[in-house]
Amino acid sequence: MGTAEFFQHLMNGLTLGGIYALIALGYTMVYGILKFINFAHGDILMVGAYVGLFVFDLLRGSSPLGTWTVVAFFLAMLISMAVCAILGMTIERIAYKPLRRATRLAPLLSAIGVSFILSNSAAWMLGTQSRKFNYPFDNSSINLAGVIITPHQILILVVSLVMMLALKLFVDKTRMGKAMRATSLDQDTAMLMGINVNKVISLTFAIGSALAAVGGILIALDFKVYPSMGTMTGLKAFVAAVVGGIGNISGAMFGGILLGLLETFGVAVLGIPSGLKDTIAFGVLIIILLVKPEGLFGKVEKEKV
Amino acid sequence: MKKSLYVFVALVALFALVATPMFAQGGGEASSPKIGFIGPMTGDNANYGVLSNNSAMLAVQHFNAKGGFDGKLPVVLVTEDSEGNVEKGLSAIEKLSSADKIVGLVGPVFTGTTFAVGERVQNEGIVMLSPSATHADITAIGDYVFRTVVSDGLQGEVAGHYFYENLGLRTIGVLYAKNDYSQGLYEGMTASFEAAGGKVTIAEACQVGDKDFKTQLTKIRSANPDAIYIPNYTAEMAQILEQARQLGIKTPFVSCDGFSNPDIYNLAGNFTDGVVYVGPAKVKESKKYSDFVAEYTAKYGVGPDSFATNAYDGTNILLAAMNTVYKKTGKFDRKAVRDAVAATKDYDGVSGIVNFADNGDLVAYQGLYKVNGTTPEYLGTYTVVDGKLIQID
Repeated sequence: MGTAEFFQHLMNGLTLGGIYALIALGYTMVYGILKFINFAHGDILMVGAYVGLFVFDLLRGSSPLGTWTVVAFFLAMLISMAVCAILGMTIERIAYKPLRRATRLAPLLSAIGVSFILSNSAAWMLGTQSRKFNYPFDNSSINLAGVIITPHQILILVVSLVMMLALKLFVDKTRMGKAMRATSLDQDTAMLMGINVNKVISLTFAIGSALAAVGGILIALDFKVYPSMGTMTGLKAFVAAVVGGIGNISGAMFGGILLGLLETFGVAVLGIPSGLKDTIAFGVLIIILLVKPEGLFGKVEKEKV
Repeated sequence: MKKSLYVFVALVALFALVATPMFAQGGGEASSPKIGFIGPMTGDNANYGVLSNNSAMLAVQHFNAKGGFDGKLPVVLVTEDSEGNVEKGLSAIEKLSSADKIVGLVGPVFTGTTFAVGERVQNEGIVMLSPSATHADITAIGDYVFRTVVSDGLQGEVAGHYFYENLGLRTIGVLYAKNDYSQGLYEGMTASFEAAGGKVTIAEACQVGDKDFKTQLTKIRSANPDAIYIPNYTAEMAQILEQARQLGIKTPFVSCDGFSNPDIYNLAGNFTDGVVYVGPAKVKESKKYSDFVAEYTAKYGVGPDSFATNAYDGTNILLAAMNTVYKKTGKFDRKAVRDAVAATKDYDGVSGIVNFADNGDLVAYQGLYKVNGTTPEYLGTYTVVDGKLIQID
């Protein structure tokens, strides 16, 4: 493999991984606080992509590519983030909160139910065919010494990095972030210390869902928009979160990037047949669960009695 | 107590509401024979199924408007959704054969589903005409399986020869999907291309439904073939073309009859420019064909694709065969209907003159197209006889 091809695979892997990481954050945050996996996360991503698509088309009208389309794109992204944040909080309030004291299985099943409701409603209301999310900018590729990079790939990398850093700062440096960490350590004690746990949980869902909306829109530019778009991407991001150590924010970022690179290089270098690309993620999941079940960055946690 | 009474009354009312139309239908049309249609009516590939089902409906409407069988008995079309997958297709044929007791079947649209459903109709003795299942081995299932579409055997042969002789390609890279249709085309094209003297230097696989093809395309880019062959469906081909452009791939693309679905131009836009594909031979500009297109377009808002044109002929051939049997015997014996379909000779359909070979294959030719911008232009009609490429017109 030549140098150019190597860097091309690297670039492809990084952008794929960037998206996985962004979505994995949502899984990991919810798990960190509530110790349950929000399987509806991938479908919130799908809703985010549809909202982004509709708002963008509405704002854009028929104007040609230019500053306005880029502005409209980011406006659409903001609106979609807001819609998804509200959607995430609403789902939590309706489908998860009443089950907070139930067995651990109950909210998980509820989440799978929500996932089906969202994707089937979308299929029913909007049809199942793929829709094209038009690029808000000229997406012609840039050639850097044989390595081809598109503005879209740069956008993915920049947006994922910015979002991840902002989240990390928020959780580590702000009062609300501290409350979040406290809640994740021990809900009851946090409540005793005067932390409004309900508010923290709502906020967690809002942030996670807003990040899913961003992920959805970034994917949609390349992969089109359709009701089941969140399923596979959501599962892969979930794997990324587990690989990095579920509940750990840095772990999710790392896990996502690692998964993207593994999928790309597994086919390109290790010679795994490209038809088996999807199995790489799940193979990695099994290996991690066998060898290091707490994930690469996770802490071993004793089951509370 | 009172509450449970309300619930009971509500349930009874609901049942009555759901069941009434069922009973009404069952009673009114008890003696009408049924034919079935199976195809993807929902999902990413719904366009293929919906367009062909429109044709079947149109054929049935015309048939019934003329009075139906022997001028007195209308036919009923029952459409089942396969979503393009095997499991759904099998439960569809299960329902059609046991509950609806169909006499004949139009479809299924996809090759993989047709393989599975074909085994069933062969066992049940239901004649089947697929408008679009192109895998070379489809008609090998048995004598109840027919098709009004060209076999991939021919498509692959014409493709390999044309790419080598007329396009002057010597090396080809392939990006195919792991399903019967795509893999069948890839293997057929490879066999004839390499027999002619060319070489397939790299073949990468994907899954139907994949969205990211950058890894495969990057590998193909490094192998630097003269052209890239993509025997796939529209959703995948659109992604491949767009991502190839993003990776700076300037190698020309060659494709298959899946490219003749106009949906490709909505999804891929200008990236289709320059693609050469093997598709259905151009229908002779008959009045029959233009009338069909005009009526179809007026009724459904879109034009028929080539599979829909095939489905129209297939449905009509099935109905004509059933009519012959009914006139002769007064009933619809499945074996007799199958024989009547096989006996079809020089049927003057919208897609041209239809004849079946002994194995149930359509006697046919292939068309070559080149896309200019987003408009396919016709290059000519070809067939392969004894390993030689022959241009018909």
